[in-house]
Amino acid sequence: MRYGLLVEGAPYSSQASHSALRFASALVARGHRVESVFFYHDGVYNASRLAAPPQDEPHLYDAWRSLSAEHGTQLQVCIAAALRRGLLDAREADRHGKTGHSVESPFELTGLGQLIDLGREVDRLVTFAP
Amino acid sequence: MILHILNRPPSSSLAYRDALAAMDATDRLLLIEDGVLGALTAQIRHFQAIEGRLFALREDLSARGLEGQCDASVQVIDVDGFVTLTEEADKTVSWF
Repeated sequence: MRYGLLVEGAPYSSQASHSALRFASALVARGHRVESVFFYHDGVYNASRLAAPPQDEPHLYDAWRSLSAEHGTQLQVCIAAALRRGLLDAREADRHGKTGHSVESPFELTGLGQLIDLGREVDRLVTFAP
Repeated sequence: MILHILNRPPSSSLAYRDALAAMDATDRLLLIEDGVLGALTAQIRHFQAIEGRLFALREDLSARGLEGQCDASVQVIDVDGFVTLTEEADKTVSWF
């Protein structure tokens, strides 16, 4: 089956990211396809490329990247939720006159319409909230 | 059949009431994260209406030192069982 995940919890604040990653691992192990993870509300903080957690703790950012690299999962970030929280890719940083950027591939800033499309395209959409 | 997913315990949130009110006679409820506290015998009365259709995630029970302390009426499943529940449901709804 084709799955989509919606993550609304910030990393290291709630269990949402951990629950979603664990569920994603179980899905791919079962042979399902995780088409996309959509990050919304405080969940957009998962997309910060500058995350530097202690080495003896789970590195959630790297875990998302691995999921994308190994299974082709898209990592979509709500652009409206991201910009107001200081999460900008290089293009948005340039557009807003900011030095440096905090979001890069495989994460991509997209609109909320992409979430609607995802919900229509996949067989199951599962939400992980704080 | 809809799989409802609840991550809040009855002791700190009334989200369970919304979940129960939205469930029909065949829907299932899965307790995850802090929601697994609702599976303890002391809390189980809140879920009497859906006996036989209540599940709790083993990994989240274990992380809280509560594995083996669930009420006997609760079906304890691991994350693979979580996947199975989503396969069997037409869709999922998360309550938080």
